[in-house]
Amino acid sequence: MAKWLSGELSAEELERFKKSGEYASYVRLIETSGNLQAPAFELEAALDQLRGQTRKAPKMFELRPFKTFLRLAAAIALLIVGSYFYLNSLGTSVSTGFAQRSELKLPDRSEVFLNADTKLSFNEKKWENSRELTLDGEAFFKVAKGERFTVSTVHGPVSVLGTQFNVEAREDYFEVSCFEGLVRVAHKGGEVDLSAGSTFLAIDGKRIETEGTRGIQPTWMEDESSFESTPLKYVFAELERQFNVRVNTQNVDPRMLFTGTFDNTDLEMALKSISTPSQTLYRIEGDNVLFYAGNNSQ
Amino acid sequence: MDHVCEEQIFSSIFRTHSKTVFNYIFYKFGNEEKAHDAVQEAFVRLWENCAKVSPEKAKAFVYTVANNLYLNVIKAEKIRLKYSERDRDRTLETPEFLLEEKQYREKLEQALDALPETQRTTFLLHRIDGRKYAEIAEIEGVSVKGIEKRMHLALKSLREQIEGI
Repeated sequence: MAKWLSGELSAEELERFKKSGEYASYVRLIETSGNLQAPAFELEAALDQLRGQTRKAPKMFELRPFKTFLRLAAAIALLIVGSYFYLNSLGTSVSTGFAQRSELKLPDRSEVFLNADTKLSFNEKKWENSRELTLDGEAFFKVAKGERFTVSTVHGPVSVLGTQFNVEAREDYFEVSCFEGLVRVAHKGGEVDLSAGSTFLAIDGKRIETEGTRGIQPTWMEDESSFESTPLKYVFAELERQFNVRVNTQNVDPRMLFTGTFDNTDLEMALKSISTPSQTLYRIEGDNVLFYAGNNSQ
Repeated sequence: MDHVCEEQIFSSIFRTHSKTVFNYIFYKFGNEEKAHDAVQEAFVRLWENCAKVSPEKAKAFVYTVANNLYLNVIKAEKIRLKYSERDRDRTLETPEFLLEEKQYREKLEQALDALPETQRTTFLLHRIDGRKYAEIAEIEGVSVKGIEKRMHLALKSLREQIEGI
């Protein structure tokens, strides 16, 4: 069972476990226990107390740390004055436009990779005590080991325990994929725990069964956008974001399900990858792309 | 040789690891004061030996000191843990549901108290702090296999306790 929690069970072992009569009680057990909290720990106060107890610096380094400390203090003072005017007082924000990608390192060395048209914000000062950020768009996270890490989206929070996962939170499309570790997604008053290789998808608030993901990172990190039984409407939206074009349709049902992949670096190839399986035709007009269907099949 | 006698490095190590040490001792003994004292003691010792400890070894050093404190404590006190109310859709919950939840939580707390100290500590470090097995193994000074075994036994006992089997 230890392996179940760390996500190390094989697919068939997991299936067998899920079918056992005890599965439900174990799930409840770990969910409820996951909500427990340790008592508050006043870190800075403890640090001050510690400093009081260790007044005597070790003899051989008496002079040096002071000088370095002064130099550092001066540099920090300058930085603070400078950044006070530069940074948003509410926190740090990073965003990408269309056909743009970005990445950043968080104060605890967690890494975040942003896909196009995405906005991410967090409070650097509070980061030590609670790792929380807000996401509108799509990002791949590599979370450094530590305490809980929470991503707030318009669809609800996604919390993780040291792992690698992808969150796509767009208007009515919410998809979370876990590539390593354990991810918890809040959905409709309950919680869904995802272990490595699992995906959670909800369109318009309704959960949709998915196959799960293979690999160690989402395909967009390797310049490909892939979809599995996804309504064309979302495929077109991603196309718009990746190439900064406008997609229009004529006689094409945006609800039609699409399974396939397109290359994010070549528009013509991408259009072919979409039109062929969906049996549609396309025409490029400057910044606009028109997908249309003929009246008779040819 | 690398050392931790510099204010910046030492403080940074404190900020990274003090809460874990605190939580760890608390999960062991259920006593906040002991947990605070353990943090102070472990880091005072680190400072006193700062010239002999490199930043990479500091974490293990601190955990070892914390582990060896209170070796002779016989009985842990009752662990009082708080329950965080996370984003829940309250409109779906009936009074009966809430009552049942409360009772379940109480049974869970009692079951946690009844666990052998090593199983409880391992379980809580995993569930509350979100530590991976490798990290817990380092903190407790045992092998990863040992930690997996403790988790397994803890889960089993907790379930048996709660369901009264």
